[in-house]
Amino acid sequence: MPQNEYVERHQKLYGRRLDYEERKRKKEAREPHKRAQVAKSLRGIKAKIFNKERRNEKIQMKKKIKAHEEKKIKKTTEKVSEGAVPVYLLDRDVQSRAKVLSNMIKQKRKEKAGKWDVPIPKVRAQADAEVLKVVKSGKTRRKAWKRMVTKVTFVGEGFTRKPPKFERFIRPMALRFKKAHVTHPELKATFCLPIIGVKKNPSSAMFTSLGVITKGTVIEVNISELGLVTQAGKVVWGKYAQVTNNPENDGCINAVLLV
Amino acid sequence: MSMYNFKKIAVVPTAKDFIDIILSKTQRKTPTVVHKQYKITRIRAFYMRKVKFSQQSFHDRLTQILTEFPKLDDVHPFYADLMNVLYDKDHYKLALGQINTARHLIDNVSKDYVRLLKYGDSLYRCKQLKRAALGRMATIMKRQGSNLTYLEQVRQHLARLPSIDPYTRTIIICGFPNVGKSSFINKITRADVEVQPYAFTTKSLYIGHTDYKYLRWQVIDTPGILDHSLEERNVIEMQAVTALAHLRACILYFLDLSEQCGHGLDEQVKLFESIKPLFANKPLIIVANKCDIIKLNELSEEKRASLKSLEEDKEITMLEMSALDDTGVMEVKTEACEKLLSFRVDQKMRTKKVDGVLNRLHVAVPKQRDEIVRPPCIPESVLAKRANKKRKLEREIELEEGDDYVLDLKKHYVDIPEEERHDIIPEIWEGHNIADYIDPEIFEKLAELEKDEEIREETGMYVVPKMELDETMQEIKKLALQIRHKKAIMKDEARINKQSRKPVMPRTAGAKVFICFIIKKLFL
Repeated sequence: MPQNEYVERHQKLYGRRLDYEERKRKKEAREPHKRAQVAKSLRGIKAKIFNKERRNEKIQMKKKIKAHEEKKIKKTTEKVSEGAVPVYLLDRDVQSRAKVLSNMIKQKRKEKAGKWDVPIPKVRAQADAEVLKVVKSGKTRRKAWKRMVTKVTFVGEGFTRKPPKFERFIRPMALRFKKAHVTHPELKATFCLPIIGVKKNPSSAMFTSLGVITKGTVIEVNISELGLVTQAGKVVWGKYAQVTNNPENDGCINAVLLV
Repeated sequence: MSMYNFKKIAVVPTAKDFIDIILSKTQRKTPTVVHKQYKITRIRAFYMRKVKFSQQSFHDRLTQILTEFPKLDDVHPFYADLMNVLYDKDHYKLALGQINTARHLIDNVSKDYVRLLKYGDSLYRCKQLKRAALGRMATIMKRQGSNLTYLEQVRQHLARLPSIDPYTRTIIICGFPNVGKSSFINKITRADVEVQPYAFTTKSLYIGHTDYKYLRWQVIDTPGILDHSLEERNVIEMQAVTALAHLRACILYFLDLSEQCGHGLDEQVKLFESIKPLFANKPLIIVANKCDIIKLNELSEEKRASLKSLEEDKEITMLEMSALDDTGVMEVKTEACEKLLSFRVDQKMRTKKVDGVLNRLHVAVPKQRDEIVRPPCIPESVLAKRANKKRKLEREIELEEGDDYVLDLKKHYVDIPEEERHDIIPEIWEGHNIADYIDPEIFEKLAELEKDEEIREETGMYVVPKMELDETMQEIKKLALQIRHKKAIMKDEARINKQSRKPVMPRTAGAKVFICFIIKKLFL
């Protein structure tokens, strides 16, 4: 009965078949040809995937080769000429004048741009028709005073719907979000934080009051989890963040924290 | 037997393969054509189906993994412990647990995105949502990469474990490394365990089966155990310990009297004392192996003294054995089997179920008819054959003669007379298979034919009748001969002429060229 390492045992006792090495070598040698054949015959999405993988493989290979070559090179350093500046003094006081100027200009521009610039300054305006779908009502479906929001929305905690007669805007349950993935631009880290409210939707004030979240909307998020502290030493808990993706298309809200 | 067979667990693909399998399956098994002028409900349904399908396939595949891998709480404690030793229980449970969580997460993702898809108002938006959904499922699977590779390794190892049935009649062999445990199992079963002259040749449990009293006995060979505390034992030793601890079996503790294994007798006895708790309530035999080197009663006084504690114990039987020259091997086997059998019967008798069966049982013992002894009849020839020594085996002859030995199979062809026995008979001779022409009755047939021939010759069947030719016929014959000669010569000449290397104008071409020539002439 074959048990435990029976393959290894068999090899130990009887060895491999006599042409094992040769067959292995040949198989390896044939591999590129086979691959070429496959690459030729593939069509459509499979070809795309194959080519992408192959490209990545080649990049990795080239990188590896380069790394090996770099290892081999012996570095020849020139002899230090007399009166040369030592390395630790090289970057001191020799800052070129041009660099200073450009830095100054950049600084000034930044100041001019003002305090309240956001990562996405220009946002495509959302038309009402795009956001709100008309819901027909009445016995003959003639009345059309109801609207349904088709974008992602945020409704506050403890929200209750109005009676149907008075409810002009319907915000469906499926499109209500409570959390957002917020990236801290300096920490370069992303956190899943609860939303406190919608500060401003640039498309219209009505959307802001409805809590519609689209790309470019500024939302307020609860960052008490992060443990950021103000200069006075209090824990900051509410901060603004701008939405960077189309939540209705992605099924999640990504935002950048405004620092 | 089939209860603990782990060979049927399906292959666990790597995370990348897993994703590829599911996504391509989704592509193959769901509709692929959709247009934006379709009714929006149709578009939504199209994409919802894709999301749900891939979720279902992920779910099914993961469920398959979860159900197929044995649950440590459900299997026999022996297997649970063995798996703990080999694969680390915590790691194993964690891996399966995480797979389970991944399954939940995938279900939730699908639920959320199907809900979102219900409000999709364009093909673009629906497609984006589907893409996001499949992407998130794939990411969840990707995070399971290390778990999947671990489970695959476990699967491969599990499939190679010997299928030990923890409930049947079992004999366990244990002792220090290199005391001859594997040689013994090779002697009594067909397990074919590797035997080498160094310690720890056997690194895992091996199982063999043997027959005794028409019953099947499971023999387990364990790796050697060294004498130290349980915490210090390594994986190899722990396998032996789990087998000893959990299997209700007859235990053969092997001693090496010759101390060739590198451990003294007192050391071996000490190990016995330290693992004795594992032998509690089990039939136990101590086997003094390698008695071909030194016998039990040839031991020196000091060594004898170290064995004394074992010999004094009434419950322990001690047997001498040598796996090398087969002395005592069968005795050890029968003793072990007997002990275990009586032990098992005894245990069964104590259970409650026995009463229900026993009062319905009646063992009839026939009364003896008379005092005449009726031994079995053994023919004289058989007795004579038994009295003779065993035929010398070819192997023994080979060992005797050494390098001079030549394998001669023909000497056993007793039907052929001695001088013809070694004749070379080719299989194929002049393109004919000789076997086709072999006929056992050939000589009789030949004799018959010859007799027929004699009769025919006697009757004058073959006498040539005399023929006389008249003159005209003789002339014709002569002429014919001349003609034949002439024809032959002409044939040869023609052949020689034909051999010229000049280009030959084909018959068909000649005509065409000639016609063209004529036409040209006409027009000029």
